[in-house]
Amino acid sequence: MYEALFGTILAWTTAVGLALAGILVILIWKKDRTRKVSYLRLFIQTVSLVGIFYSFTIALWLSVFLIVILVATMFTGRFFCGWICPFGFYMDLIALLRKALRVRYWTLPESVNDALQKLRYVIAAVILVSPLFLGALAISDVSGTQALYLRGPYKSLNIMLSPLEPLIVPWAGSVATLSFIDWSFSYPYARDIMFYINIPFVTSVIVYVFIGLSLAGTFMYRRFWCRFCPTGISIAAVNKFKTFKWMPLLHINKTEEKCTKCGICKRVCPVQVVDVYEQKGGDIATSVCLNCMRCVEMCPYEGCLKMKLAGKTIFQSRNWLQPSEM
Amino acid sequence: MKKQNAEKKYLPEMPQKEIDELNNSIRVSSEKIMADNIARMKKTDAKRPAAMQYFDEIANFFGQREKEIQAEKAKGKKVIGYFCIFAPIELILAADAIPVRVNSGWYDSAKLGDRIVPVEVCPVIRSTIGAKMIGLSPYLELSDAVISTLTCDGMTKLSEILSDAKPVWTMTPPRVKDSAQSLQLWKEEIKAIKTQIEKLTGNKITAKKLKAAIESMQKASKAFRRLQDLRKGNPVIMGRDAMLANQVAMYDNIERWTQKIEALCDELEKRRDQKAWACSPDTPRVVVTGTPMFWPDNWKLPTLVEEATPQGLLVGDELCSSDRILYDPVGIDEWTMDDMINGIAERYLMASTCPCFTSKDGNEDRVNWLITKVKETKASGVIYYVIRGCMLYAMEYARVKRALDKLNIPVYYLDTDYTREDVGQMKTRIEAFLEMLAARVDF
Amino acid sequence: MGIQTVKIVILKDGAVAARAKEFSGFEPTKAAEQAFAEALKTAQISKQEVSQVLATGSGMDMAPYSNGTVSMMGADAKAGVFLFPSARTIVDVGAEEAIAVKCDERGIMLDFVVNERCAAGAGTFIEAMARALEVKLEDMGPLSLKAERASPINASCVIFGESDVVSLIHRQESKPEIARAVFDSMADRVSSMIHRLGINPDIALVGGVAKDVGFIESLKRKLGITILVPEYPEYSGALGAALTAASRAKGGQK
Repeated sequence: MYEALFGTILAWTTAVGLALAGILVILIWKKDRTRKVSYLRLFIQTVSLVGIFYSFTIALWLSVFLIVILVATMFTGRFFCGWICPFGFYMDLIALLRKALRVRYWTLPESVNDALQKLRYVIAAVILVSPLFLGALAISDVSGTQALYLRGPYKSLNIMLSPLEPLIVPWAGSVATLSFIDWSFSYPYARDIMFYINIPFVTSVIVYVFIGLSLAGTFMYRRFWCRFCPTGISIAAVNKFKTFKWMPLLHINKTEEKCTKCGICKRVCPVQVVDVYEQKGGDIATSVCLNCMRCVEMCPYEGCLKMKLAGKTIFQSRNWLQPSEM
Repeated sequence: MKKQNAEKKYLPEMPQKEIDELNNSIRVSSEKIMADNIARMKKTDAKRPAAMQYFDEIANFFGQREKEIQAEKAKGKKVIGYFCIFAPIELILAADAIPVRVNSGWYDSAKLGDRIVPVEVCPVIRSTIGAKMIGLSPYLELSDAVISTLTCDGMTKLSEILSDAKPVWTMTPPRVKDSAQSLQLWKEEIKAIKTQIEKLTGNKITAKKLKAAIESMQKASKAFRRLQDLRKGNPVIMGRDAMLANQVAMYDNIERWTQKIEALCDELEKRRDQKAWACSPDTPRVVVTGTPMFWPDNWKLPTLVEEATPQGLLVGDELCSSDRILYDPVGIDEWTMDDMINGIAERYLMASTCPCFTSKDGNEDRVNWLITKVKETKASGVIYYVIRGCMLYAMEYARVKRALDKLNIPVYYLDTDYTREDVGQMKTRIEAFLEMLAARVDF
Repeated sequence: MGIQTVKIVILKDGAVAARAKEFSGFEPTKAAEQAFAEALKTAQISKQEVSQVLATGSGMDMAPYSNGTVSMMGADAKAGVFLFPSARTIVDVGAEEAIAVKCDERGIMLDFVVNERCAAGAGTFIEAMARALEVKLEDMGPLSLKAERASPINASCVIFGESDVVSLIHRQESKPEIARAVFDSMADRVSSMIHRLGINPDIALVGGVAKDVGFIESLKRKLGITILVPEYPEYSGALGAALTAASRAKGGQK
């Protein structure tokens, strides 16, 4: 009975979320309500969370998501991370909680932030290589395509999909069990830790420590995980090679003459990207930017920062000069 | 902070009679000059907007605004003067104090300043010293403390000289804008000034008050930009009128000023719709950049430009006494105290186009801002205005000229002093420059 | 309407029909009227036949009969190109001011520089030094050409120049050498003014001081390129004003 109720709630959330998102898109384009981009993003994230929850039950969708994450990201930048990734959504919700409690955020020193970004590659390498040594995960009630992602040599692909893990999953063997509806709590990367560190008691401790630290980190540091998440490295690889410069079709563009170096873009960025500020003009090449468009939203100089999709400006900074609501 | 010494370091002991005489004579002549300037502005634009009436009144140094501030002081409010636009106005407003800019624009008091410092020193500094000697500036006299940002040699010593007569709080801006240490230093300076302000006023600056102050200034910035945007098209307002409206922001009640500017803009938009231009749309459009020009006496250049034959129109400027004052807003993400202090510190340091800075990455802030201004206002020429004695502006000329040459915009270097003697010479040059611009437009 | 003298030029059918000059004195307007009458007589036309009169120079607001004004820089540019079609930099050295104008082939001003505040790069300097040397003004030029070198003078100011000369004579410097030093220091100032504008050949030299061979030589030496000098250099301002008047009358501009 609870399942049906839960299902109805999810369906309605999707419908309403999409509707509101549609209205906001129209408002932004027609009436230039630029500030509302942040709201729009929240709605789209809600919708995608619901969508992903459903698709976790159908293995084909997992493959689609994998392609989106690895391949499309090269073209759209880390749009996935800013707008679709549920783990990112959880982090944004935590940030909203922090704002409501009027706790100020902390910033990492730039050097540490840079080091974390390099850590991504290390983590990705470990992920890709470890299943070759550590064998398959035994989960009894999955089969077929889904099994491909959860065992054997394809295990590493599954960890790339870990940020999509919904917090409530319809199968057992996750972090904790909710007895009354027979489902379990989960957390991104938790199952993978449980699989790789399969020692009783130690596993649980490590899982809870991991969850605690990442939640605490996100509470204080805004999108903490995104700075070293291995899932978003495809765009980074592209940025390194000049021949692939054309690939990120969705990116930020800056008009050098209009920038007054006020630093607002640098300060509002949840992942502390400084390239928007430091680079003088033209297309901003950065591998951590989540395309959340917060900097474009907050830049007070008309036409200075633009969001460009395949060369066409879809959104640009405007002369707002009224307090932001978020 | 050390207690003020009874013995003065610089300022002389002047007989009261002399002070009164000078004060009187300069005050009387200043009132005449202000009235004369306004009359001339009215003459140039027969359809001068009615909303300018308010600004004319506030611009009178010895009139309404002085009395208002005196009344506020009597109620217990403090007045904090400042020199450069680095002083964090939002903090002053949040502590319920009155910010006033106290740079002096009187020519005659510069001669008095000559008694203390050599004539080669920046005339704004000399004039301010002179004004202090005879108590000429009502706002300086009413200040309970003065914030002096040590942007140049003159300002550094001026703060020392003025400390003979007023409590001077110095702020040290770093000379290199963009190194990590610079921002760190500046943030500490902002925090220190915040403590000073709180101590003087006895009011604690809470997050709520600071938020209100920042929002009020953001509204003022918006109105300010609206006015400058209206100058970008065909002429709805003469440059001098806009400059006066801009200047008044430096000592007026900011919320009332914002309302009046919005009213002025409404009127200007009506003019625009009716195509009631202040002067012919073919008038050569000039942008002025350089050292600040203070009302009332140092209105020499704008007057010459707009009353010359052929007439010129000032469509914008890069002056810290006019179009730069409220242009940059403070951008806040999360309205926590820390974020607001960060935002204020960064806005006042990083967005500044003052040539007192240099930066690691080429220091193009001023050049970029000027180029954007020239392009947006469709200016046909730039007058590079330098007050003799200012090394910083004088030295940047070569760079600005090169950048503007690339855009094929003529630049004219004009240097002058706090004197009326060179009006004839300046007139010749300005008229030749305007002729040049007019000829280019024709062809 | 110059500081020392008033010059009139009448143009007829695109060519100079008459020139006249008078000392400005205390009543420049009267002097201008006199010179105007003289020029009309030489050209054998009546005042009514003159379609446009434009005034230029520092006293241009005091000019009689004028339909308008034009700046000295604009006038010089027009005159320079009229006299020498290849000229692109016009240098006007007058009694108390020196200006340099950059122009294009149509005589349109592109940029200009003015000698700031100091008369030591203008005609009054020569006058003062001629007085100190007890030499006639018109003899200074030929005198200086006789010298092989220039005396070292501290020519920072006209006022002090005179006492400078006395000490130089005491040191057995010869008059030709002193005269040459005067022109060299003037040429120094004028050439640095031209450099601020940028050397854009060809260079034409006009204005009262351009009549002086000594100055021309010194300037040629200093710049290292040929300088074009017209026959009546002091009339260039008036000529330029007349040319502008002609084009305005034709084009119907203001």
